[in-house]
Amino acid sequence: MSQTISFDLLVIGSGPAGQKAAVEAARNGASVALIEKTRELGGACVQRGTIPSKTLRENALRVKNMRMNAQIANFKLAEDMELATLINRLSEVLEAHDNYMRKQLQRSGVELIHGRATFVNEREIQVENVSGTKQLYRSQHILIATGSHPRKPDDIPIDHEHLFDSDSILSMLYLPKSLTVLGGGVIASEYASIFQALGVKVTMIDKYPRPLGFLDDDLTDTFISGFHHMGGTWKGNTKITRCFWNGIDAVVTECDDGSVISSDKLLCAAGRVANVKELHIENAGLQLNQRGLISVDDQLQTDVAGIYAAGDVIGPPSLASASMEQGRRAACNALQIETGNMHNTIPAGIYSIPELSSVGLSETQAREKYGDIFVGTARFDEIARGQISGIQNGLLKIVCAKDGKTILGVMIVGEGATELIHIGQMALLNQCSVDFFVETIFNFPTLAEAYRAAALEIIHARKLRA
Amino acid sequence: MKNAEAAPLSGLEPLESAIDAQIRSNQIDVPMLPEVAGRVVRLTQDPKSDAMQLAKLIQSDQILAGHVMRVANSALYSPNATLISLQQAIARLGMKLISEIALAASINSSLFNAPGFESHIQYEIRYSLLAGLWAKEIARACRRNVEAAFLTGLLHDIGRPVATQTIISVAKDIKFTIDKRSLISLEDKYQRAIGVKVVEQWEMPQIVIEVVRHFDDYQNAGDAIKPTMIARAGAEFADHFMCEQGQEGCLTRDQLVVQPVLADLDLYQDEILEILEKEPAVQSAMEALQA
Repeated sequence: MSQTISFDLLVIGSGPAGQKAAVEAARNGASVALIEKTRELGGACVQRGTIPSKTLRENALRVKNMRMNAQIANFKLAEDMELATLINRLSEVLEAHDNYMRKQLQRSGVELIHGRATFVNEREIQVENVSGTKQLYRSQHILIATGSHPRKPDDIPIDHEHLFDSDSILSMLYLPKSLTVLGGGVIASEYASIFQALGVKVTMIDKYPRPLGFLDDDLTDTFISGFHHMGGTWKGNTKITRCFWNGIDAVVTECDDGSVISSDKLLCAAGRVANVKELHIENAGLQLNQRGLISVDDQLQTDVAGIYAAGDVIGPPSLASASMEQGRRAACNALQIETGNMHNTIPAGIYSIPELSSVGLSETQAREKYGDIFVGTARFDEIARGQISGIQNGLLKIVCAKDGKTILGVMIVGEGATELIHIGQMALLNQCSVDFFVETIFNFPTLAEAYRAAALEIIHARKLRA
Repeated sequence: MKNAEAAPLSGLEPLESAIDAQIRSNQIDVPMLPEVAGRVVRLTQDPKSDAMQLAKLIQSDQILAGHVMRVANSALYSPNATLISLQQAIARLGMKLISEIALAASINSSLFNAPGFESHIQYEIRYSLLAGLWAKEIARACRRNVEAAFLTGLLHDIGRPVATQTIISVAKDIKFTIDKRSLISLEDKYQRAIGVKVVEQWEMPQIVIEVVRHFDDYQNAGDAIKPTMIARAGAEFADHFMCEQGQEGCLTRDQLVVQPVLADLDLYQDEILEILEKEPAVQSAMEALQA
């Protein structure tokens, strides 16, 4: 091993958090090294999760729309469709993204190191490259942004051939005829609805009564009804007792209610676990919390001064958007760079079919916190654009404080939700009154008009109560 | 596969120009994949197919049925039971595995007409089978497509025995006496182009064709880069395990773990050693498939 190399900041992991941290620090004049285990940049978000699944989603929507417009074209998806065909252009998208990130890092003067990082102590990191060569790096500031990987329950024999996890599901050769999805979280809901839209017979099973339990019931009801309408089956309040490849032609899932589900393939989406195994964080005096994550304070600093963590490795909200900002702020905090205000109102985007998105408090959270509140709802089938575009399975909900003016949160289900939410987010961040949505003229016909309809409901209710 | 004996030779020009002409004019004599094997592969890719249809199909070829039953009854797959019917075997082993067994059985030395070089071809077939089995384990470790890995590993070098057959046939036609060293050198030169023609003619899935086409240059395989790397890595593992004492050009364990393709797959040395621990399982599968 050669001499130790020093940097102002060492960043471990090139996902959304690590990359933004490295660029921010370097742009502010710090010497920065970004250590990445894999040859490709971007982490699971780019390589295995967000981008590939959204590429598949785009094609699933096209397929769904073509089926809906059967009068225009008698569309039928080939039964032995290769999955790669449905994630077309992925390599181009990934390559373009990789090139862009590499150029940005290079422009900013970030030193990119391909290798596996291990803490030697709280200031030193050993990096082993794929050939086994080792090198020591030292810094007063280290950021852990190593992301997460799918949790593998002991009783689910994932073989990446018949039983997949969310990292391997898109490696299937052919679109299966049927798919069982275990879980009711964001990843499970996204993949279940995407595959169902592609015509795969999907059964989604979870121990909780509803998927996406952190959202209000009316939103998840709309999601479930859309899923059912496409032909999917949701089995809530159900525990898995056994799950196995029958050695013949199916994955068998046995449930505690006595039901048995057979499917070509199975996806286990049982949450994600922080990537810390190879880091040996104990050498730096760190340990995982009870949830298997790294704890940080509001400065994103861990229990060890000078060591920061950001992104999936610190847990929810586990959104790429939030991870980017956490990474940027962690770097700023470490190097004492002015950060500006960090708003806690981060929008959540769920790229299922239909999409879901929320910002601020849900109706349930607002009632728990404030008791008396106002809620205004607009259904997409009552909005002209919804009728025209066939986007009728959706709703937008505004939650207001007791005064009937202060916006507490916005929740949307329906196509376009992840874009539409930003109107609500801006209103929330700027502390606009709900009246602002009525006083503002929106394009007609648009789905954004739903803001106006929902706001009017609140204003009428407010007047009635006055 | 690396042939230590292969090296450019002079004096082969007449033979080479005759082979070139055959390739250019698309006159390579591609052996017919036994019809039943081709149908087995297609059937197992058909989502509408079932185990009953597969059993019927294999039963239509007595030799193949016998081989499948021998493998199904081997210690690896049926340690405690004796399978007496094909349907029972399919029920036990699964359609996918049965199709792998059927294809592996179909690609044997009797497919190729290369008098005097039977043992050479037998070696190549054994090597390809081992490459397919290792490719599956590597794909699993990399969380990449496991389903395609066996097929791509098995068929990546299918051009070699066909090239050998072609070279012998052309040499005979032009009355050229060829020694083993020269044959291997020419086989190295022409096998890739011929291999692509074989898998195309056998109507293998597109991914198999792309892997065979780009096997020697996986960096330019485009969308097929990962499956090609996995097949290549499977072949490197086969190179190591087919190595006999004193043999030149084969990979030692130390050489294997530093192969560039493994690094390109982001497999670290401890991860490669973990894959190597699958050796007993892979060897058992190999023995069973060659039963």
